Amino acid sequence: MKSKLFVLLGMFSAFAVSAPAFAHHSFAAEFDIHKPFVLKGVVTKIDWMNPHTYFYVDVQNKAGQVANYALEMGSPNGLARMGWNRNSLHVGDVVTVQGFLAKDGTAKGNVKSVVLASGQQLFSQRKGFGNQENGGKIHYKNLND
Amino acid sequence: MQTSSTIKLIAAALAAQFLTLAVTTTVYAQSARSNTVSKAIGLPENAKDKALMEQPTPRLPDGTVDLGGDGVWSLPYITDFSKVLVDTKQIPYMPWSHALMMYNRYTTDKKYDPEGFCLPPGGPRMFATPYPARFIQEQDHKKIDVLFEGGTHIWRQIFMDGRPHPTGPNVTPTFFGHSVGHWEGDTLVIDTVGFNEETWLAYSGQPHTNQLHTIERITRPNFGTLHYEATIIDPGAYTKPWTVAWNIPWHPHQELQEYICQQNNKYLADLKDDLGEPFFKVDQPAP
Repeated sequence: MKSKLFVLLGMFSAFAVSAPAFAHHSFAAEFDIHKPFVLKGVVTKIDWMNPHTYFYVDVQNKAGQVANYALEMGSPNGLARMGWNRNSLHVGDVVTVQGFLAKDGTAKGNVKSVVLASGQQLFSQRKGFGNQENGGKIHYKNLND
Repeated sequence: MQTSSTIKLIAAALAAQFLTLAVTTTVYAQSARSNTVSKAIGLPENAKDKALMEQPTPRLPDGTVDLGGDGVWSLPYITDFSKVLVDTKQIPYMPWSHALMMYNRYTTDKKYDPEGFCLPPGGPRMFATPYPARFIQEQDHKKIDVLFEGGTHIWRQIFMDGRPHPTGPNVTPTFFGHSVGHWEGDTLVIDTVGFNEETWLAYSGQPHTNQLHTIERITRPNFGTLHYEATIIDPGAYTKPWTVAWNIPWHPHQELQEYICQQNNKYLADLKDDLGEPFFKVDQPAP
């Protein structure tokens, strides 16, 4: 009886959805949790602003094509509590970003983490964000391929 | 900017459709997937601060519970009020409020959430929006002010001098309404009316009318915990009162920071209505 209950509880917890770290607009309205990506690129612009910090990176694929991605993070106040400051990113830095692509197919993404030019990794979502929706382990699509 | 009126008509039509298919299997599966409470970021990790959290309820010189201290209240992110209900298993929706919740939450993926437009979360949702808050108890002047870092960097005031709510034409419906409070022992009881209809009760899309009346009960059972409870009374949208409750942890040594949501809200510029047209239209100057 008890084991059945645990199985049932387990099923429900598998359905749980990751809550974003920041409250503003609906994540699902703009981004697709089932489209995780990783990219390496060069920072071209940083808007350290409310309600979302954006930075832009030039991303080159194997064919040599370059696309400029708009990457959304949390607000400066929230990011500061997660270890960020306005000098964490600089134009010209080469960074590696994990996140989730926009639903509309444009070159836009919501950032989960960034490996900075210094090698330090900072997060803009909780570490487990998106894991459950992607079967426990996320396979990030490499946008440099 | 003005909101497209077409979208409101479509919303109403779709909401009406939902009346006839309120509980489909898809919907049922989705409701089981809803998220609830997530932990605030950056809470105490060292032993001294952890011990502080367990200390007894602090008090002001006159014995009143002290709602302040060196730090802030780290409001949790509660995205689904149906998961924090007290003494009931279901929100007592009316058919229209249920249909509109379904439209807000599932049909449109919460994309029309007013909080995404940088409007204030309103009432109890303010305490479920994950930016810190601080209470200022003006004992001599019989007021309590609450400062919220998030939700457009806003504040509430609670009159503790026994005054009644305004009535009739003296009521201007507002995002936070008119709040009067009193202490019942160690419980701060806040009674609020006079809400406008421009907010959702929760991120999970529950609507309300301007008949909304909330009774919030706040206690501080120990130094590190605020217990928050809100009863939602809205005869325009729900068949009976319902109550939600959660704990709010103290975050020692933290300060409030600035958060001006309206600064660069790109979301508004990109938002499309159900027909794919821009949700917000900028008024064109006359030719």
